[in-house]
Amino acid sequence: MGGSKMDIRTNVQSGSWSRGKIALAVLLGVLVVFAPVLLQGFQTMSFFVRVLGIIGIYVLLALGLNIVVGYAGLLDLGYVAFYAMGAYAAVILGEKFVAVVQTISNVGLRDFLVSSQFLVMLPVAAIIAALTGLALGTPVLRLRGDYLAIVTLGFGEIIRILATNDFLGLTKGAYGMMAPIAQPLGLAQLQLLPIAIPAIGFNFIFSVNLYWYYIVVLLIILAVFVVRRLDNSRLGRAWVAMREDEVAASSVGVNIMTSKLWAFALGALWGGLAGVVFANAQGFVSPESFTFMESVFIVTMVVLGGMGSIPGVIVGAALIAGIPEMIRGVAQSPLLAGVIDPTLASAISGYRYLVFGLLMVIMMAVRPQGMIPSTRRAQELHPEDEKVLEEEDQSLWDLKHGADRSEHDL
Amino acid sequence: MSMGKFKKYLSVVAVLAAVALVVTGCGASTTGGGTTGGTAPVSITIGIGAPITQGATALGLGMERGAKLAIADMNKSPEAKAAGITFTSTTGDDQGDPKTGVNVANQFASNPNLVGVMGHLNSGVSIPSSAVYSRANIVMVSPASTNPQLTLQGLKNVFRVCTIDSVQGPAAADRATGDLGKKAVFIVDDSTPYGTGLADEFGKEFTAKGGKVLGREKTGDKDTDFKALVTKIKATNPDLVYYGGVYNAGALLSKQLKDGGVKVPMMGGDGLYDGQYIKLAGAANAEGDFATSVGLPLAQLPAGEKFTTEFKAAYPNDEIAAYDAYSYDAATVIMKGVLAAAGKVTAAKVTSPEGRAAVIAAVAATNYEGITGAIAFDANGDTTNKAITLYVVKGGVWIPYVK
Amino acid sequence: MALSTLIQQMVNGVTLGGMYALIALGYTLVYGIMLMINFAHSEMFMAGAYVGLFTLTGLTNPKLVGSGAVAFLTKNGIGLVLLFTIVFLVAGIAVGLLGVVIERTAYRPLRNAPRLAPLISAIGVSIFLQNAVLLWVDSKALPFPQVFPVIDLKIYGNASISTLQIFILVSVVLILIVLDTFVGKTRIGKAMRATSQDRDAAGLMGVNINTVIALAFFIGPALGAVAGIFNGMYYGTVNWNMGFLPGIKSFTAAVIGGIGNLRGAMLGGFVLGIIESLAAGFLSTGYKDVVAFVILILVLIFRPGGLLGESVVEKV
Repeated sequence: MGGSKMDIRTNVQSGSWSRGKIALAVLLGVLVVFAPVLLQGFQTMSFFVRVLGIIGIYVLLALGLNIVVGYAGLLDLGYVAFYAMGAYAAVILGEKFVAVVQTISNVGLRDFLVSSQFLVMLPVAAIIAALTGLALGTPVLRLRGDYLAIVTLGFGEIIRILATNDFLGLTKGAYGMMAPIAQPLGLAQLQLLPIAIPAIGFNFIFSVNLYWYYIVVLLIILAVFVVRRLDNSRLGRAWVAMREDEVAASSVGVNIMTSKLWAFALGALWGGLAGVVFANAQGFVSPESFTFMESVFIVTMVVLGGMGSIPGVIVGAALIAGIPEMIRGVAQSPLLAGVIDPTLASAISGYRYLVFGLLMVIMMAVRPQGMIPSTRRAQELHPEDEKVLEEEDQSLWDLKHGADRSEHDL
Repeated sequence: MSMGKFKKYLSVVAVLAAVALVVTGCGASTTGGGTTGGTAPVSITIGIGAPITQGATALGLGMERGAKLAIADMNKSPEAKAAGITFTSTTGDDQGDPKTGVNVANQFASNPNLVGVMGHLNSGVSIPSSAVYSRANIVMVSPASTNPQLTLQGLKNVFRVCTIDSVQGPAAADRATGDLGKKAVFIVDDSTPYGTGLADEFGKEFTAKGGKVLGREKTGDKDTDFKALVTKIKATNPDLVYYGGVYNAGALLSKQLKDGGVKVPMMGGDGLYDGQYIKLAGAANAEGDFATSVGLPLAQLPAGEKFTTEFKAAYPNDEIAAYDAYSYDAATVIMKGVLAAAGKVTAAKVTSPEGRAAVIAAVAATNYEGITGAIAFDANGDTTNKAITLYVVKGGVWIPYVK
Repeated sequence: MALSTLIQQMVNGVTLGGMYALIALGYTLVYGIMLMINFAHSEMFMAGAYVGLFTLTGLTNPKLVGSGAVAFLTKNGIGLVLLFTIVFLVAGIAVGLLGVVIERTAYRPLRNAPRLAPLISAIGVSIFLQNAVLLWVDSKALPFPQVFPVIDLKIYGNASISTLQIFILVSVVLILIVLDTFVGKTRIGKAMRATSQDRDAAGLMGVNINTVIALAFFIGPALGAVAGIFNGMYYGTVNWNMGFLPGIKSFTAAVIGGIGNLRGAMLGGFVLGIIESLAAGFLSTGYKDVVAFVILILVLIFRPGGLLGESVVEKV
């Protein structure tokens, strides 16, 4: 333990990057910014800009859930609830905001405010989602791992069912709600600059898909920045301690209750932000977008990518959200129209989830720690002994109440 | 895990993967498409947007079958040959999920040869997708999305060949209170926009016609257990149960109603009008149940009879599902629009912006005797075909109801 | 509300709860021994329903077994007992073996991996199996033939119970008693309990851990398969995604009862089934799942280990 503590310190303070790492980062940055422009320019590839945008939303969701699952070690199977809260808040409150702003007589100011409605909704939805996180977290804090999982699952389902049943007349039930109709801020100006190179069939126009893609990328950058700061903060270290051994952490002064609540609130926040982007990019929100399977997929992204590892989670989200769409996109791409028979292409895309399920099993078998495991997690104690593992999983509550998770009366 | 064990494990997985791929290949080669050869005609692609691997797959696969049949028929027609156009299709699996649906829409939009989309099933998918098609000048004809909002967005490229709930629901209520003489109904919906809308509209008209709504409950479209609901319905003693929803769950409700001693007919919309409904509920339980559907009975239309025989020939193992005929019509409407546009701007230019505009204009001006009836569109893009037929299950088959 | 309606809702709830209890046992058995949520368990339920359906249609097809045999199996009392014994045995064994194969290929390599790794693997298995049935068996829902003679018996006022409900309930209770005795009284049952308490210590004491785990992965899916057939007989249909909802519900039931605890899973199943029926019957079907989940949360707030989760704990 002493040794691993030293490692954590050095890891936290290692700010110097190798030259290779910097080159890789620059290359990635250039790709993230310019690759979509290239894809957008060629009509047959433009589909992938939308896919990248959706992947981006999932990256944001996975980064948020990573705070709860990866850092605080709490399994949340209902994360989609916060995503739904954000999306519905964006639509319901966005509509109200636009209605109020429409009464402004100054045309320039009015149009500016209408088009920036989603920017206003971002912090609003983030706060609502965070408060929802607290509201869920408070009563269930003392629950252990898998009990917590089922409660969060139930919570996610409750939110979806309430939306389906038009709770308090807010959500229009199954009919769904249109997002406020407003050209997002600056899109019209960006579209004034088309780039066309007819010789190679390149015809770029700044599409709506591209717009939301960049918005998501900005939010991801913000999320990565915040999450990195969190990881290295007092709170982040409290989470590590709590995750490794709740009882020991508590005895050295970590406040378990507040640490868990912070994890819930700070995790939920990103779900809310992702919801706002989704609602506006999609233009329509209905309960069928927030099913239990969505939560399951987000957990899968975090675990498969590598719990607690930012690059891991990003890769995980990209793979899970991207693979089925890529299989479909490539198989049915008009570029391959002459090569692959259309029926075969349809058949391949029909098999993509079968292959996807198989890939999940294989990937977990090959890399059980995730695609890119967290360095900090790797330095933690990895007890071979089941007994130690179980004692570590014991929660503070268990200790106080004399329960021991290791004993099941089969 | 040791290296040896790992290799063994990997080989097992590899074999599984190989099997999956081989079967993929087989599946593909047996499905056999409807593409034709010819002397370099212009190839125009029609997108089929439907849930194939998730969601209401039975309906989605039916939509795909209907549309493919229409495309095969059209390719054989003299009009298409004269215009020098061959239609091909590409299926976009939207999984009944709005996000995936918009992905599909964008994929369709990225296909330069694709000028029209036959789809989607779920309104939650159709609505956000329609905006994408609008930006790409793609005409969209939905065979099944009934949410009124779809055609109220002011988009010029959006049409549907199915009736909206505000036509079908009241028509059903009129028949129920009129011909059938029903006075007290218990209404159930499946929490989908389709079922909810239908049930809402039915209830309004039923009350307006002096009937009594004894209760209104929401269930899920994937639910199987309705026993508790049946007990509740039984206690209210209705003379009709109305179900807004699709046959998969609807058949189970009908069966459980009869099992539970509620010996009154169940009634529903076009989502129930499907042979599978009778199969799943059991012929004895379904006997006497009602369903409304849009258009005149297939058997009464010359084209309908032809469709039934062609369908049986093309898909001997499948029944005609709820939206197969609509999908056939929706795809045909698009292709007729393409042919009309080709007449104006030449076949080679159909995919150009002006060609696309011409396709949309031609579809808007549709006036065609389809297999579900006469199809024309109003200013919003809704079908003007408001003929609603009431069907009843008799002797294990759906037949038009005669008083 | 009339008393007879209440009684009828209780009958509905207990039957539903019996099926939940059977599935919940599968979750709890695996959880008790492996500390893992077997997400693919709902697919065992689905697979069982399909195997049962195909066995039943095969045995009642005059072309395959001869019309005399079909008449004997479907019309005669002894024949019916024989028919359903075969159907349940075939489905139980086939799906039990499927469970063992899945454990061997997908979960065993992950035995010392982080705790969430097998969960993700299980999700992968679940997606694979659903799509396999969708693509290779049928995308449509299939009707389940009504071979079992269903007769309604009046019990009080308008309330009645059908022979099928009685059959399901009696079978469920018998299975629960047999399983309870098996785990509580037999040598291998003792080995299972020892393994669930401390896998390594049990191993040192001469328990073959792999056998115990394989057994848990045989019994759980086999029970799931039985529940799948009950489900098919009771509701009259099977479908490739039929496992999903009962899967979540039964997992909830296992947690309400105290996951890892066999009697808890049984109790949780019945409690959840009754709550659902009463909520649907007296409140609203639209909100019945909300009621169920709210009660789950309340139970866990007051008893974080589930209903039977900690009352049986013996501190070592």
